[in-house]
Amino acid sequence: MQLKRLLTLRTVVATSAGLTLASSCFLAAVQVAGYVLGDSAWIAILIGGSLCLLSAACFSELNGLLPSAAGIRLYFSRAFNEQISLVISIFYMLIVVIGVIGAESYILSRILSESFPAIPPYGWIILLLLAVTGMNVRGVKIAGTFQDIITYGLVVSLVVMALIALYRVDFQLTAPLNPGGTEGLINAIAIGIFLYVGFEWVTPLAEEVTKVPLVSRGMFLALGVLSVVYAVFTVAMTASVPKEMLTNSAIPQMIFARTALGDAGAVWMVVFSLAATITTFNAGLMNVSRFMYAGAREHVLPAVLSRISPRFFTPWVAILALLGIALAVSAIVLLTHRYMLLVEMAAAVESIVYALAGLAVISLRRRMADCERPFRIKGGLLVPLLTFIVFAVLAVAVMLENRLVFAGLLAGALVCWAYVKTMVPYLKEKHRSRRSANRRRPARLKGQ
Amino acid sequence: MAEHCEITESLKVFRDNFNQNERLKKMNRDWDRVIAIKATDIDSLHTLTLRKGDLSLREGASETPDLVVISDSETLADLFYGDVTPTEPYLNGTLKIQGSEDDIIRLDFISLMIWGE
Repeated sequence: MQLKRLLTLRTVVATSAGLTLASSCFLAAVQVAGYVLGDSAWIAILIGGSLCLLSAACFSELNGLLPSAAGIRLYFSRAFNEQISLVISIFYMLIVVIGVIGAESYILSRILSESFPAIPPYGWIILLLLAVTGMNVRGVKIAGTFQDIITYGLVVSLVVMALIALYRVDFQLTAPLNPGGTEGLINAIAIGIFLYVGFEWVTPLAEEVTKVPLVSRGMFLALGVLSVVYAVFTVAMTASVPKEMLTNSAIPQMIFARTALGDAGAVWMVVFSLAATITTFNAGLMNVSRFMYAGAREHVLPAVLSRISPRFFTPWVAILALLGIALAVSAIVLLTHRYMLLVEMAAAVESIVYALAGLAVISLRRRMADCERPFRIKGGLLVPLLTFIVFAVLAVAVMLENRLVFAGLLAGALVCWAYVKTMVPYLKEKHRSRRSANRRRPARLKGQ
Repeated sequence: MAEHCEITESLKVFRDNFNQNERLKKMNRDWDRVIAIKATDIDSLHTLTLRKGDLSLREGASETPDLVVISDSETLADLFYGDVTPTEPYLNGTLKIQGSEDDIIRLDFISLMIWGE
């Protein structure tokens, strides 16, 4: 019995990198540059990418051991317990979706309203979210060859734009190896983790690739490509425009594109940002709506979220619920201009999840010691332990740097914990009592 | 532990419910798939084939399935009788489904439309 498998390494890399490349990444990239001296942002970006390789190794082992689209929900339930897994999964989805949608919609709306001022920023947000919601309800998925074209197009575009800019300013390295103090470097790396948010969301493709190890290889390659592209682009940005101007703007990439390449650069960047945001939104909304649907199906979220469209086979209630959340979050961000808070929160949560992935590997080496592992990290427990320590330190660094991040995450974690302790048992019991009254499997056959 | 015949019966019930649902048949007329069902604790293999909206069942394995549903016999019997949703055992690792994520979701949608919440 041989399963049909179609996807190649090229698509795995494109999907992993494509989920990560977003308009808000440039914001994180200039913040990274702001924490370090001179042209040394590339050091923090490459270190961040290298550290993500550690977590990629952990995800590769977990995915090989438990190949499932359920991802961290399953890994953490086996490694820790059901409740912890549920709290972390809900918390992760909540913060990442709020963080990415909030920051991304804010940035793109600013870019578009600067280019087309007749429509106010919130108008652009509504238009964009309605378009992506429509795509999701209709089941339109940016995947396969189309995803390849967009991702590789974006990567080439960024590198070419950066090289042209560096050539035009007759770039000379100034202090490329001197990032300054350790604290600044740690903070730069911690924020730099946002640049790689979502690379591991490619693991559900494990059953669709021609060879299972391609998922691991694809994640590693995607991280390598992203690290180099971000490093080159960030150096080009800071070489072309004063750092202060970039770090004080919500749309540094537009300032850079206009400074380096004039109006043509601005148009280029608008097109780039639209493509990057739409692919991120499309994949993000699809993944989170499916998570909500699955949660409703296992009776941990309200049953109404499992309603599906009979025409398009999509969880339309979950998608519309997400639209409501996205519109509310975008409005709040637009009013408060606290987009950086969301970026920092998403970076911290991502670090927490990576740290827990390291712990999960350690736990499962003991709990599922005899199970087959297509990918086993070499060097015993060194890499998972390092992953846990490094990402725990980075998460703490982000929270210490901005106490609002800590307060926001603590509040979010407590709400998720209270929900799992009170609402989930209620929903499960409600379903259990209804199910036992309507059992279909004939009793006479049971237990024979 | 369920027996092979119980899994067969559950699959027949699933197949009949699918084929009696005209709306479901219409919705799936362009979703041609071969689904293998394999028990881990007993010797039991079945193949469900969906062609142009018609679902058929036969015992034994298919050479190149699009989806492979793997679990213990109890879970499989309960699953196809609609006494448990696929999501619960899938998320706790009792049920393994090999195939594309879109196909896995579609299979769950079908189960939901046959058996309800």
